[in-house]
Amino acid sequence: MPRRKISEYRSKKIANEALDLHYVGWSIVDDGSDSVDYSAVKGYKSYVVKVDQAVKGRFKKGLVLLDVKQGDVKQSIEKLQYEGYRSFVVESYVKYQATAERYLSLMQDRVGIHLSYSAQGGVDIESKSDTVVSCLIDDMTSWDDLATQTELSVKQLQTLVETFKKNYFVFLEINPYVVIDGVVTILDCAVEVDDAGAYFTHAWTEDDVRTAKSTKATPEELAVRVLDANSPASFNLSVLNPNGSIFLLLSGGGASVVIADEVYNQGYGNQLANYGEYSGNPNSHEAYLYTAEVMKQLLASTSKQKVIFIGGAVANFTDIANTFAGVIKAIDEYSAQLKKQKVKIYVRRGGPRQEIGLARMHTALEKHDLLGGVYDPSTTITDALGAALKGLKK
Amino acid sequence: MIELTDLRTMDMKVVSLGSHPGIIQAMLDYDFLIKKQQPSVIAIIASGRKSERYFWGESEVIIPVVSRLEQLSSAQREKITAVINVQSARRVLSSTKQALECLPNVKIITVFAEQTPETHSLELAHITSKRDVLLIGPSSVGLLVPGYLKLGAIGGTQHKQLSAAGIFDAGDTAVVSTSGGIVNELIHTVTRSGLGVSFALAIGGDRFPMVTPAEAMLLAEHDSQTERVVFFGELGGSDEYEIAKLREERVLTKELIVYIAGTVAELFETPPQFGHAKALAETYDESAAAKKIALSKSGAVVCEEFANIATVLRERVQHERVVTTATIGERQKSIITSHLSGDKNDDVYLLGRELLQTVESNGVASLVLSMLLGFQVESKRAIDFTDYVLRLLVDHGPYVSGALNTIVTARAGKDMVSSLAAGLLTVGPRFGGAINAAADNWLRGVVFETPAHQFIEDFSLKGGIIPGIGHKKYRLDLPDPRIQALMQFGGNKNNDRYLYYARSIEAITTTKKNNLILNVDGMIAAVMLDILESELGYTPEQLQELVDIEFFNAFFVLSRSIGFTAHYLDQRRHDEGLFRLSDKDVRYLE
Repeated sequence: MPRRKISEYRSKKIANEALDLHYVGWSIVDDGSDSVDYSAVKGYKSYVVKVDQAVKGRFKKGLVLLDVKQGDVKQSIEKLQYEGYRSFVVESYVKYQATAERYLSLMQDRVGIHLSYSAQGGVDIESKSDTVVSCLIDDMTSWDDLATQTELSVKQLQTLVETFKKNYFVFLEINPYVVIDGVVTILDCAVEVDDAGAYFTHAWTEDDVRTAKSTKATPEELAVRVLDANSPASFNLSVLNPNGSIFLLLSGGGASVVIADEVYNQGYGNQLANYGEYSGNPNSHEAYLYTAEVMKQLLASTSKQKVIFIGGAVANFTDIANTFAGVIKAIDEYSAQLKKQKVKIYVRRGGPRQEIGLARMHTALEKHDLLGGVYDPSTTITDALGAALKGLKK
Repeated sequence: MIELTDLRTMDMKVVSLGSHPGIIQAMLDYDFLIKKQQPSVIAIIASGRKSERYFWGESEVIIPVVSRLEQLSSAQREKITAVINVQSARRVLSSTKQALECLPNVKIITVFAEQTPETHSLELAHITSKRDVLLIGPSSVGLLVPGYLKLGAIGGTQHKQLSAAGIFDAGDTAVVSTSGGIVNELIHTVTRSGLGVSFALAIGGDRFPMVTPAEAMLLAEHDSQTERVVFFGELGGSDEYEIAKLREERVLTKELIVYIAGTVAELFETPPQFGHAKALAETYDESAAAKKIALSKSGAVVCEEFANIATVLRERVQHERVVTTATIGERQKSIITSHLSGDKNDDVYLLGRELLQTVESNGVASLVLSMLLGFQVESKRAIDFTDYVLRLLVDHGPYVSGALNTIVTARAGKDMVSSLAAGLLTVGPRFGGAINAAADNWLRGVVFETPAHQFIEDFSLKGGIIPGIGHKKYRLDLPDPRIQALMQFGGNKNNDRYLYYARSIEAITTTKKNNLILNVDGMIAAVMLDILESELGYTPEQLQELVDIEFFNAFFVLSRSIGFTAHYLDQRRHDEGLFRLSDKDVRYLE
């Protein structure tokens, strides 16, 4: 839905093509199948192996292995796999003097595309920010001047900007690249795309998107990702504290943040088990599937005191009776275990057919002896949440 | 950019790009509840139907549907002042651009879709920066101006919700929010606190919303109705700093009550992406905490708890607000609708009047034409032509396929309806059904100004015969007397442009073969087009609609039904027994 990072491998492929350069690299992705195929990696004496997963500070974290011999590539990757990473890029290893490293980036904002460059690139670019020069790309852009400053040709720069535009990039950073005897080599490249552009370009796909966290996803998080990918409505779930006490089942992009904020602001942040939300009028079966994942997560928590807060603002078009029908179905299904763990459920919601949805919810919670409180919009989000948190120890 | 004061003085007319029945119904309900005389939505752009039916209060109303904006008449397009775009994100750029091009008087456009590429929004914002248009979204539930306009899902999609929200009359507090759910929550917070809403605007949760929060603040600043603004913002992006800056420059002076969501992000190891596209803070400046500090410095009332908003608003109440109440009762969609007839006050009504009144004030031909067109026709010329055509087509002897089938069926001992049906079922492209096809041809030829030779060439390329041209018996030197007779209905106000066109086709075809003359079907089609246009004011689009529903074939079907029925009775009167072809009538070719 928003801005996403794509793999270094794909970024480099696209950037090299734009600069009319030849790129040799291999993307190795552990997709959970039995074995990873390394046979394509050959032809060089020495390699660099990197985790290709949008992780910041890879050098410092030891996620970039330099000067790896052909025979050791497999072993190096397996070592990183053991740490939980699953996406890697392998390239031939070339040594350069750090002083030759240059910096170039393109960034889209409201005004347009900004190009920034520096003759002193490298991992510590942030500390050398005074050497970075930025300019807006427009009709006034002096391309010849930029070419001189960046040691790239006008054509290379213009093609790069064109590539940026037509493939829905929002950020591209080539840091560093080196120019030796007129030959340009990109050493590292990062691209962020607007994933809403996926339909309009073939340069990258959803498979190229990398998230730093993808390694440690819980089964519940994974299940919600699948649900999200297969539905016109949207779903997300992040586990914050597997043994937390406060479980949120929220709807609406804005309200869900407000409710999570209130938990945090009222001093219960460390007990917050999850953040997540559904929106866009999911059908009742989808609401059931989503709720079931939250229930599973809750039942696995070792906390002695657990509450569920089912909440949202006053929906404009999400049908409360329909979505709650799915939520209630999941509650029915897990009611025995929930009761055993003395879970209390609090609900605050408004919107189309709220009377029906809230009344049915009240009946179900009362029947299963899980009732904390059911509130309509005449109770503020803050007050309803306050009631849910009241019994908890901070 | 348009000012809200202007919106309040305009009679907003809305077109919906794409159809979202729940939202459109809610907009109509709002119109009804604030006692508008007519629905604000006047057209829907969607495919596969010509109209959609909605409730208007407890009754029902039809909203026309066309598949492209250009199909609306220029008068309709000029009338449209607002657009709700509910099409998918893929089509947001192209459809919104088109709306801007086609609709000269459009003042507001809201875009509902999530997942619109950032650069598409920016391109649209750039286009409208040079025009007096308020472009809202993407991912926006719309704009609500209490008492005047509900554009989008904002405020709810159920009439009970709307009735309970206290949003039928204007108040003094504006609501601006990047979240659709929260905009509605805040509308309720404002009205429950005892204040009213001056306007509510859902910015949408994208990184580069087309109308920015700062621009929304300017709308509020320039709106004499608005005393204060309640604003819901989030972490991510830098829009809030623009507001803080404008406040410090005293460009924005009205009270601002703010909640910035996203402090919980501090709990996460890596910056989390929350529900909205923009809701991700990579840097400190993008965090909720930093934005709150900036806004607080600019003098805004920053609420740490969401409930504080209500507390602050309650303190602003000076006198009790009188709230207009309005409700819509139980209602049920009918299964079918009819524009022709139905019961009213226990009487049967036909064409808008009590049955007997309609029947007694119409002759047969005038009633036939009125029924077929769906309204009471007064034009004597149109009625006389109908009368003549109905008489002219009644029978053409037992030789023709339809009559023969009726006769054969009657002699097989079948009943009247079966025999009539046997004849009628023969009517088609080669027998009796050519009037409509001919009308289609003359109409297209005239509208697209196709040169006659080009028109003929197109047909011969397809290898088809031209409907309305050619006769088995009559030729140039043996003219069809019926054509001569029909000429009396020429001389129409449109200079007989359809007949003229048909004649220009005939002028060429007869040079190829002398029986390729304008036949009765082609003649009736041409004259009928001329009369409908001249006498009843039909536009080419409306004529095309009649062609599409096969109107022009109705005259043959009706008139010839009399002939078929007569042939049935004739056969039954002198019953010759079962019809069978003799051996010499059939040749078996091995």
